[in-house]
Amino acid sequence: MKLGLAIDLDTCVGCHACAVACKEWNGKSLMGGAPDYDPYGSAPSGTWYNRIRQYELDGDPSFTPQGCGSTHQPLSKTINVPMSCMHCEEAHCVTVCPTGASYKRAEDGIVLVDPDRCMGCNYCSWACPYGARELDADQGVMKKCTLCVDRIYDQQLPESERQPACVLACPTHARHFGDYDDPASKVSQLAAARGRQDMLGDLGYKPVNAYLSPRKPAQVEAVALRQGLSDKAKAFVNRLISL
Amino acid sequence: MKPAFSVIFFTVMSGAGLGLMVWLLVATMMSAHIRMPNVTFINGVIIAAAFIVVGLCSSTLHLANRKNVIYSLTQFRTSWLSREGVFALALFPIAGLYLWLRSAAAPTVVVHGLALVLIALAIIILFCTGMIYGCLKTIPRWNSWLTPTKYVLFGLMSGALLFVAILSTRSAEIGPLGRPWVAIVLLAAGLLVYLGYLLKHPRKQHTINDALGLKQGQVRLLDVGHTHGTFLTNEFGFQLAREKARLLRWLSIALGFVLPLVLLFFSNTPPFAPVVACLIGLFVERWLFFAEAEHVVRLYHGQQHV
Repeated sequence: MKLGLAIDLDTCVGCHACAVACKEWNGKSLMGGAPDYDPYGSAPSGTWYNRIRQYELDGDPSFTPQGCGSTHQPLSKTINVPMSCMHCEEAHCVTVCPTGASYKRAEDGIVLVDPDRCMGCNYCSWACPYGARELDADQGVMKKCTLCVDRIYDQQLPESERQPACVLACPTHARHFGDYDDPASKVSQLAAARGRQDMLGDLGYKPVNAYLSPRKPAQVEAVALRQGLSDKAKAFVNRLISL
Repeated sequence: MKPAFSVIFFTVMSGAGLGLMVWLLVATMMSAHIRMPNVTFINGVIIAAAFIVVGLCSSTLHLANRKNVIYSLTQFRTSWLSREGVFALALFPIAGLYLWLRSAAAPTVVVHGLALVLIALAIIILFCTGMIYGCLKTIPRWNSWLTPTKYVLFGLMSGALLFVAILSTRSAEIGPLGRPWVAIVLLAAGLLVYLGYLLKHPRKQHTINDALGLKQGQVRLLDVGHTHGTFLTNEFGFQLAREKARLLRWLSIALGFVLPLVLLFFSNTPPFAPVVACLIGLFVERWLFFAEAEHVVRLYHGQQHV
């Protein structure tokens, strides 16, 4: 199995519900602990397994109401990008770890940290290009997204809830969870249909999570206004008034 | 990258200590050219050991969970950090065995053989330290063969300066070469490698577009998603003012390389002056090594190029 998330960059509204749900679940879970530091003070900070950032992609400068020639986005677009562990196939964070605390599970590909071995050297966080690892300063060990490994296999939960907390919480269904090894799974189908963003692919980490590419908005054909005699007269009067 | 004092101190001190050890051992094997009193050798060994041990202890200061440090010797197969730890710890029993055999007047072949093993081990440790940084693809500034070269060369260089200083404390018979040529040549080579590293610098390899996979147009950060600092901004967000960086770069070149070179070559100043200058210069160089390195995660925080 190759478990991972598919995140739709078109439908994510950047509400941070996934990050809050993650905090809610992992803050108390057996695997976790995600402490806050000075949460109500002047310098609030904390350990988060998931962070959401908002970007703006410029529009095509050659855009006119008649359309634009390129494959470019016609107008500028806001894109929200939630980022957590990608559970990379080539997880360099695991190979650099000197203690063996970081490991990638053979059975489902989830990358985890064993808090009983981690010595808090931060080296794995240096090796991660995506900023997925954050130190828990209270315990002195590295923390990261566990893909809610303590939810997805929990037989006590109804089957519909055996998903990561962030996926369940997402109000716009921008997050999906599944097995990328199964070509029939929802995430595989989505990634194949929509295409995945190539995020620092040249570093060779092969992220498993897919960021579904924003769709190009459908081109609307512009219709030239038909101007009658009265329209021309009105325009003429308007011009006179504004003199 | 955040310049962590414990790691800067560790790499400079252990580097010099390992370098000193290498030259002490080389000198014992070249007794035809350098005849140093046994007291000088013992003093040198004590100073080298002190530098290495103080450095290694300092390297554990930045660990957030020191009780698990013993596990760091387990991942020898994949992790350069683990390799460094294993080799550094292996150094002590082998050095102890060497000193015992030497004092017990064991056959020269055995003593010299063990000296060669120790020299190789010292260079391997320096190389491992360099590879800890050099192997990271996420930090393009470090991801180059120049990084391990720098660590090995600067260790041998500062060690050679220390060796010259220690040799001068007692009259030793030095061969026909009037000047400490090894130190001079290493300083010149070190200067060349350092200048190469600095000049190679500004090749920006990754853009914010690569980071998000959005190649269509200009991308800029609208909202970073946190109200105050995070672990990531603290660890990777270090900003160095350009003027300050330039000043420190020249300071490290002048103190670490040029001044010791001039002092050794042209004057008969006390040989401890070049060592002090060189170590201060290397501290500045090592601080800059961290402060100037940029991690690709800065792209997600809105930086356009790394």
